[in-house]
Parts: sequence; structure tokens; C-alpha cells
Amino acid sequence: MADGQRPRASGSPVSSLSPADLEAIEDTLDYEVQLESLNQWQLAWRRFKKHRLAVVGSGIFLGMVAVAVIVPIFLPYSATTIPQPDKIVYAGRPPSWASGSWSPFLLMGETGRLQRDVFELVVNGARLSLLISVLATTISVLIGTIWGGVAGYFGGFLDTVMMRIVDAILSLPLLFVILVASKFLGSGNWVSVTLIFGLLGWGGISRLVRSQFLTLREEAFVDAARAVGVSDARIIFRHILPNSLSPIIVSATLSIAGVIVGEAFVSYLGFGVDVSQPTWGNVLSNSLEFVTQGNWWWPFFPGAAIVLTVLGINFMGDGLRDALDPRSRL
Amino acid sequence: MSRYIVRRVIGAIPVLFFISFMIYGILLIAPGGPEARFAQNPKITAAQIEAFRKRWGLDQPLPVQYCRWLGACNPDHTGLAVFISDQGLPNVLPSFIGGGDNGILHGDLGFSIRDGRPVTIVIGERIIPTVILAGTAWVIWLTVALLAGMYAAVRRYGLFDSALTIGSYIGLALPTFWLGIMLLTIFASGLKWFPAGGMWSARDVPIFGSPEYWAFAGQQPLTALFDLGTHLVLPVFTLVVVSIAGDSRFVRAAMLDSLGQDYVRTARAKGVSERRVVMKHAFRNALLPIVTNIGLEIPFLFTGAIVTETIFSWPGMGRLAIEATNSFDYPVLMGIFLIAALLTVFANLVADILYAIVDPRISYG
Repeated sequence: MADGQRPRASGSPVSSLSPADLEAIEDTLDYEVQLESLNQWQLAWRRFKKHRLAVVGSGIFLGMVAVAVIVPIFLPYSATTIPQPDKIVYAGRPPSWASGSWSPFLLMGETGRLQRDVFELVVNGARLSLLISVLATTISVLIGTIWGGVAGYFGGFLDTVMMRIVDAILSLPLLFVILVASKFLGSGNWVSVTLIFGLLGWGGISRLVRSQFLTLREEAFVDAARAVGVSDARIIFRHILPNSLSPIIVSATLSIAGVIVGEAFVSYLGFGVDVSQPTWGNVLSNSLEFVTQGNWWWPFFPGAAIVLTVLGINFMGDGLRDALDPRSRL
Repeated sequence: MSRYIVRRVIGAIPVLFFISFMIYGILLIAPGGPEARFAQNPKITAAQIEAFRKRWGLDQPLPVQYCRWLGACNPDHTGLAVFISDQGLPNVLPSFIGGGDNGILHGDLGFSIRDGRPVTIVIGERIIPTVILAGTAWVIWLTVALLAGMYAAVRRYGLFDSALTIGSYIGLALPTFWLGIMLLTIFASGLKWFPAGGMWSARDVPIFGSPEYWAFAGQQPLTALFDLGTHLVLPVFTLVVVSIAGDSRFVRAAMLDSLGQDYVRTARAKGVSERRVVMKHAFRNALLPIVTNIGLEIPFLFTGAIVTETIFSWPGMGRLAIEATNSFDYPVLMGIFLIAALLTVFANLVADILYAIVDPRISYG
């Protein structure tokens, strides 16, 4: 508790204290008495700040979000602009720094065939990739929490039926289903991709929430609430849910990373978002054709953006897990 | 114990039923469909399409179609007699004791729309390449993950442990397709050490799985094996790198858990050698969760890795799924779905039962 230590005047003998000094000591004592205890979230924040990797990770993630929001506004050219159309090179040109010219254009080279600027694609791709992952996670967390909460709270036959349905959903190979669904339910549109990930990805979270509810519903405070006549819905959402929030937050964080990779994968295979709206995945989609011509910069930068972001989110999630656990003394 | 197993098996039946329902539903709402291939053909008349629909039962109401697909209904009969097979017994029964021979319950997955062959044959010829690729990768990553996880747990917070932690963070963040593309860029197109994809060198070796291939493999086993090996290196490496991260963390956690137990402290206090403590006392008990985890990885061996197989043009199940999706080949897709889901349910069942057998603390009343 280094920051909570109160200043002491123990160095000087008491007899030499002036009235002013005494007054100052009184003040610190008053301050000490008024100090409020930290609530659960403040404690968690303090633990989180001490987790160095988690801070770095959130920095990376927030940095990516900032880049996605701000940088496309200032780009002097759009996704379809060819930076220097006088030199037609079918396989695309390498980054400017690799050829030693250091021009502000072609920071990350350009793609083959259509010769689109990779930097521009990565930056614009960040927008859609992050938006899809956050929205889809929100949807799946909402569904999963309600589904798992209801199953865990009521238990019995309802619980059995609901969890068998989750079993079945989790038994289907999710990526196969997503491939088929996005092929058939109108692929190309980012909204439908978001919905597909959101509506199919809640199985894991609902299991987690259910297990939380199973233990928490036996607690005395739930009995007390029920004895006072609180409705079931209120017990679920106001009494039990806040107590099972931390694992949900952690798993939601990690699920964002999962959706980023999943979306990139689906779009890479051509079943996800259409190439007219760049995401990190679909930017990569034709790069394999040009790999044999040494066109490394095209796949490298969008993929590196994915790795960096996912790494950041995973660090953040681990930090949150430690910080939100009231037993951890970090 | 046997009661527990029976209950688990019975509990899996509604799940399987629901899965079959969902698979049927997903592919039902999909566009395209069996007669889509006639849409572009000007020589086919509406009457012919109608005859085609009647021939394949597409004019029937949906429950009947589902029931026939499942194998509980006999397509040759109408009315209430649909549940009776040609031999006069309920159609659900296996055909050798008098049931029908249609539907997935009797192993009839229909015909591929793309090339007209039975789905079982189309899928069957893709299973061996997938097992070769996924199996090789699985054995390697399991061995490495076991050794690395154990060593990291024994030397906790040591140099190796920290390196493994950082490595597995990166491994978990690496998208398979990106790793594959970068490996191809570096080792196939840049350094030219390995072939850029496929399963055999078409110039030197006959098509894999054909009789000529096996004859060739019999005459020059070393050439065939070496050729297969060079094609395996990059995809196997890709799979190992992305899979090892999670598994080694799992082994490490399981080992740390059992190293912290009282009986380990007791063994040490009695003066048992450290090697014996780790191998006999800690590792044996850490195996419990590890075995369960391994059981859950079994479906992967057969359904394969979609991305890795696509990028390295490996002729396996994963790539078949992509091809079938692209060409609206419903029967093949349904077959793959079904096999994958069956294996997942089966693996879950096996893991649960194994866990109950090896861990006497689990109550299975």
C-alpha cells in the first residue's frame, strides 16, 4: 500500500514541534479519518494497473481503436486510389522503406493486381474488423448471459433442455456452420457477418454463466431476496448477475479476439465481408496467388495487425482475470 | 458406474437428434438446392424438373422428406405405411434384420451433386490424407506440449517457463492462415526448401490413393515417403505451432496443480528423489485432466483443419468442406457436418466416462 501511506513526522522530536507543525499533523489525521474505503471496482482498477502486460495490452488495443477511428479521416487517398499509377507493376510494389525511397506513400507497399495501398487497407480494415468483433461479442454475451442465467437459476427440466440445446450448438463445428451460413444468408455484408458470429457464438458464455448461477443461487442473499418477495427476473438481473459479472467480462474480452480471428478467417476464404469493404481478413484473400513472386508485404501487414491486436486483447483479458478476482493479491 | 455410462449414452441421443434437425434446417433454408443446376440449362423443361423433383421426393412435405433422410420412413410407401420397410418390419431397423436401407441411420448419405458419386465414397477418399496430416501434427504437438509443459511446471518462473509463456501468447494470437501464408512466402517461394502445396509431386509420383500410387510406393518406398514428407513439413509445422500453445499451457497448469498437492510434499519429505516425485507422483495425477483434454481433440483428427488444408492444397476433409460449400453440394456438406458432430458428441462422451473411471472422486450417481 505504498500510495496509501500517510506522512509521519516521526523524524523530529515531539518537543521541537511548533504549533503550526502540530496543526499540520492534525490535518493529516483528519484526512486519514475521512479516507473512504475503495469499492470493488476501484480495487480491481488498482490491481489492473499493476499488471504490466495488461496495461501494455490495453494500450495496444486502445491504440488500434484510435488508429481505426482517426487515421482514415486524414488519409489523402481512398481504398481505390492507386498511389502512383504511372508505374504499372502487376505484382505490386514493395514498401517504400524497403527500396530506400522513404516516400510517405507506399508505407506498407501495394497489393498485386489492383495495386491498392496496403497501409490504407490495413487502417480501413481495422475499422470494420474491430467493429464487427465488438458488436458480435456484445450480441453473443447478451444472449449467452440470459440463456445461461435462466437455465442456471431455474434448473430442473428447463435447465436440462436448454443445456442440451447448447450441447448441440457446440457440437456443430462452428466454423463449418459459419461458412455455410455466410455463404447462404447473404455473404458480403458486414452486418450479416456480425449477426452470424453473434448469434452462433454464445454457447460457451451461456455454460459459464449457468455454472456461476448454479453456485450463486444457493447463497443466503438469494434466499433472503426470495423471502422478501423479490421477483425472479429481479433476482436474476439485480442480485445474482452482478456477482457473476467478472468471469463474464473476462470471457467477453477474450471473445473479441476470437471473433477478430474468426472473421478474418471467414473473410479470407471469401465467405465473409466483401472485398469492397476492407477488413483484415479479406485484404489477405488473394495474396496467396502472389506469394510465389515474393510479394511478402501484402499478407504480412494485415496479418501482423491481427496478431498485435489479438495479443493485446489476450494480455488485457488475463490482466482483467487477475484484477477482478477478489482473492488475488496483486 | 455402468448406470452412469448408460445414462450418459441415453442423454446423448436427444442431442444427436437435435443436431440432425439443425443440419437439415440449415441446409434447407440455403439457396441453390438440388435442381439449381438446371436453371442455366435451356434444354430442360419445367416438366422434366417436375419429374426430377418427384423422382427424388422433393415434392413431399418437409416432415416426410426429413423422415426419409433420417431413414425412419420408407420412400416407396405412402400414408401410414411409410414407417414399414419393404420386408414388412419397421423401417428404422437395420436392413439385415428386416429394416429399410435408406437414410442416414442406415449409412446412406445420398449422392454428391457435383459428381454424382455416393457421399460415403467422396468423404471416404478424403479421410486418409486428413488422418495423415492431422495425425502427424497431433503426435508431434502432443509430445512437445507434454515435455514442454512438464519442464515449465517443474522449473516454474524459470527462463524456459517465461519463454514458453511468451511463446504460447504469440502462438494463441497467430491466425493459422496467416502463419501458413508467411511460411509459404519464406520457405516455399523465397528459400525454395519445400513444395508450395499439394500432397505429392505430380511430376514424379502417381496420384495419391490410386492403385498406381500404392504400386509405386511398393517399388520405391523411400522416394514415396520422402516425397510425402517434404509436402508434410510446412502444413504440419503450421498446425503444431498454433496448437501447441494451448496444450502446453494446459499441461503446465495440470502439473502445477498436482505438484502443489499434499502427497507431493509428503513424498519429498520422505526423501523420494525429485525425478521419482515428478514422474511417479505428480505426473501420474496430472494425467487425469490431460487425458480428458486429449479425448476432446479426437474429432479434429478426422474433420481436419480447414485453413491449413486450403492454404497448402491438401486433399483432405477440411478442403472438401470448402469445395462443397462453394459448389452448393448439400449432400456432401451434410455428410461432413454429421460426421463432425457425431465425433464431437462421441469424444465428449468418452472424455466424461474416462474421467469418471480414472477419477474416483467424481460422483456419478
